[in-house]
Amino acid sequence: MKIAVCVKQVVTRDWPLRINDSHTWVDDRDASFEMNEPDAYALEEALRLKEQHGGEVVVCSAGPPRVNQVIREALARGADRAIHVEAESLASADGAMVAEALAAPMEEEQFDLVLTGLQSDDQGFAQTGVVLAEFLSIPHATIIMEVQVGAGRVRVKRELEGGWFQWVSMSTPALLTIQSGINQLRYATLKGIMAAKKKEVRLVEPPAELARRQEILMLSVPERTKEIRLFDGAPAEAAGKLVQALKDDARVI
Amino acid sequence: MMHREVLEVDVLVVGAGPAGLSAAIRVAESSRRAGGEPLAVAVIEKSRQSGSHILSGAVLDISGLDELLPDWKARGAPVDTLVSSDKIYYLTSRSKLRFPFNGPLNNHGNYVISLSRFVRWLTGQAEAEGVDVFTGFGGSEILYDGERVVGVRTGDRGVDKQGVEKSNFEPGVDIRAAVTIFADGVRGNLTKTLVKDLVLEGPQPQTYALGIKELWELPPGKVIPGHVIHTLGYPLRNEEFGGGFVYTLPEGRISVGLVVGLDYRDPRFDPHMAFQRFKQHPAIASLLAGGRMLRYGAKALPEGGWYALPRCHVAGGLIVGDAAGFLNSMRLKGIHLAMKSGICAGDTAVEAIRSSDVSASKLAAFQKRIIAGSVRRELYPVRNVHQAFGRGLLAGLAFSAWSMVTGGWCFKRMLPNEVGHARMASISRYYGTEPQDIRVSSNAVTVDRTLTFDKLTNVHYSGTRHDEDQPVHLLVKDTDLCRSRCRELYGNPCIHFCPAHVYEMVDDGHGPRLQINASNCVHCKTCDIVDPFQVIDWVPPEGGGGPEYEGM
Repeated sequence: MKIAVCVKQVVTRDWPLRINDSHTWVDDRDASFEMNEPDAYALEEALRLKEQHGGEVVVCSAGPPRVNQVIREALARGADRAIHVEAESLASADGAMVAEALAAPMEEEQFDLVLTGLQSDDQGFAQTGVVLAEFLSIPHATIIMEVQVGAGRVRVKRELEGGWFQWVSMSTPALLTIQSGINQLRYATLKGIMAAKKKEVRLVEPPAELARRQEILMLSVPERTKEIRLFDGAPAEAAGKLVQALKDDARVI
Repeated sequence: MMHREVLEVDVLVVGAGPAGLSAAIRVAESSRRAGGEPLAVAVIEKSRQSGSHILSGAVLDISGLDELLPDWKARGAPVDTLVSSDKIYYLTSRSKLRFPFNGPLNNHGNYVISLSRFVRWLTGQAEAEGVDVFTGFGGSEILYDGERVVGVRTGDRGVDKQGVEKSNFEPGVDIRAAVTIFADGVRGNLTKTLVKDLVLEGPQPQTYALGIKELWELPPGKVIPGHVIHTLGYPLRNEEFGGGFVYTLPEGRISVGLVVGLDYRDPRFDPHMAFQRFKQHPAIASLLAGGRMLRYGAKALPEGGWYALPRCHVAGGLIVGDAAGFLNSMRLKGIHLAMKSGICAGDTAVEAIRSSDVSASKLAAFQKRIIAGSVRRELYPVRNVHQAFGRGLLAGLAFSAWSMVTGGWCFKRMLPNEVGHARMASISRYYGTEPQDIRVSSNAVTVDRTLTFDKLTNVHYSGTRHDEDQPVHLLVKDTDLCRSRCRELYGNPCIHFCPAHVYEMVDDGHGPRLQINASNCVHCKTCDIVDPFQVIDWVPPEGGGGPEYEGM
């Protein structure tokens, strides 16, 4: 089975963020980067499927040259080769732009299965995978908890609201966006890291007419607002007012 | 049966800092020049990415870099801010006095750099020479064959809080090498073991200081890059060794820090609070006004100098850089000496491997190189300076001036020195019988979260992260001691000396007990060094955990 995994490089979660001067993105000078965590789960799932069913795992990523860091990491963990759509303009691109950039080289490959993380840790639109499925003209399913592979089909377990699940069967090729935490991530081994240096990373230019579909107008840090209300009266009366306020105003009970 | 990966190399370097990378580059380069089958060189580094755990001021004396890679400019080294102004002040609590001469702290021809960026660049140079740099792997154990070092075992990964293997458990790797170069930094956990196992201690015990630093950003146009300021005096007292620094960088950045000797007497002294007081001094506060703190970090540094160097050569192994103590505390510089010691180690390793003799006597060529070269020329004349500071700031200053003029001839022998943690006084000895609130630092300030910060806020700005589900990496041999003798005698100094709020004494109804917030640890090693009972053992956490000092 030929499996593609789309990975994104994002700023490390614990890195103290600050917003750039134009207020359109974070100032990522000297930022520390890492693999988008949901994508790491997608990669792990792909490696496990390959171990069960054979085939190959191809890492696909779109972004500036620094993205090579997460590609190498994926190769060190066991992916076989990589496709890197490289352009500075893809640094903080929207989901549709990334999907469009990835679509052309991925279409040629004729993957049986395409896995992505559920969403990215930075923008969190949960769109790239879904839009990519449209570009590739293949069916998709989101928030996947479990993948069972059959001949020409996959059966997948989707997470719904309130503790409900749904099993869906669909034909392959298909795209699945993987829920975080469904497996235990493996570590890259020393041998894996050494082997990764010899694995192929195909650099691809993005389509010439590639452009943003969305523009970030402004980012801002949440403002801290505090409101203190004091309820007076006898204890029972004050408690009654408090309960009423929690019901009507705060709407928490 | 557990499957343990084994990797065989010619030279293994533990620690991707300036010393380790210089050694690796040197070995790879001379092996390439010699032709034939290239020597396999591997570097292991506990940080997730290269440069993440390195911290310094930093002012770079380029002599080491010139020796290693003379064409560093053409190779794009991130070394471009030449020191343009250089001042030393003595601070009183409200004012400053400028020293008429800079003496050993003369920084003419030096560069203000980000050591993290520099190390990342150096890693790239090593990789281009064919060196394998493995980040995210800490060395946990030395592999011996008798008394000969034959390699290092890396730490296990995927072990939970209780020490039980998780489903993704990955046992540590045995990396076996003809020569292992220990460059695991100040109070490196492997070097500490090696020095103890093979009794390598120098004539004097190593002494240390703790450096605490913040990186600030000011509005455009307010900072002229290349300015270097060093201070003595406030907020430290005559009995405390150390001083402050302010270095200006491009892009409106200022590096501000305080170095405090880890041989102070007051058990309630808090180095982090001293740093906050330093920033509050009008001379410093005025420089930072209108700016904001970007990053925070803390790291110990070895200050013992020449007489505190251990024997650095053993069969199959060499010790370099801060791990050994190649740092000139009078000039506050160690990067160039780290690099030079790495170069000497690289050359010695190549020579030994070529002659198929890695015995201790063969590797003693390292010591000969150090003695014949610029490292000794720089460290020997100032060999007694730190000890003189042990007698107070004024005595230290007078002595360092004397040493500079005379090359230290008057005290040809060494002045005695004692290990830092032994100088800490008990509460009753320091404060008398007056009852003390041991929970509060003696130099506490109220933080305003603009200029001054609490430890937890600072830790957030260090980018520190550890997998929470792993064993505690600060091994306290006897926690009963914390609530009994340590509490009575010293008042639990760990809650004050740790600059990352790792140690807390909590009381959940059964009397005070030690709580270790290991995931806050910024890997500075202060606790391992200064704990008066020496019951804290810092061991590496799971590879990849720790601070993220990018840009620092």
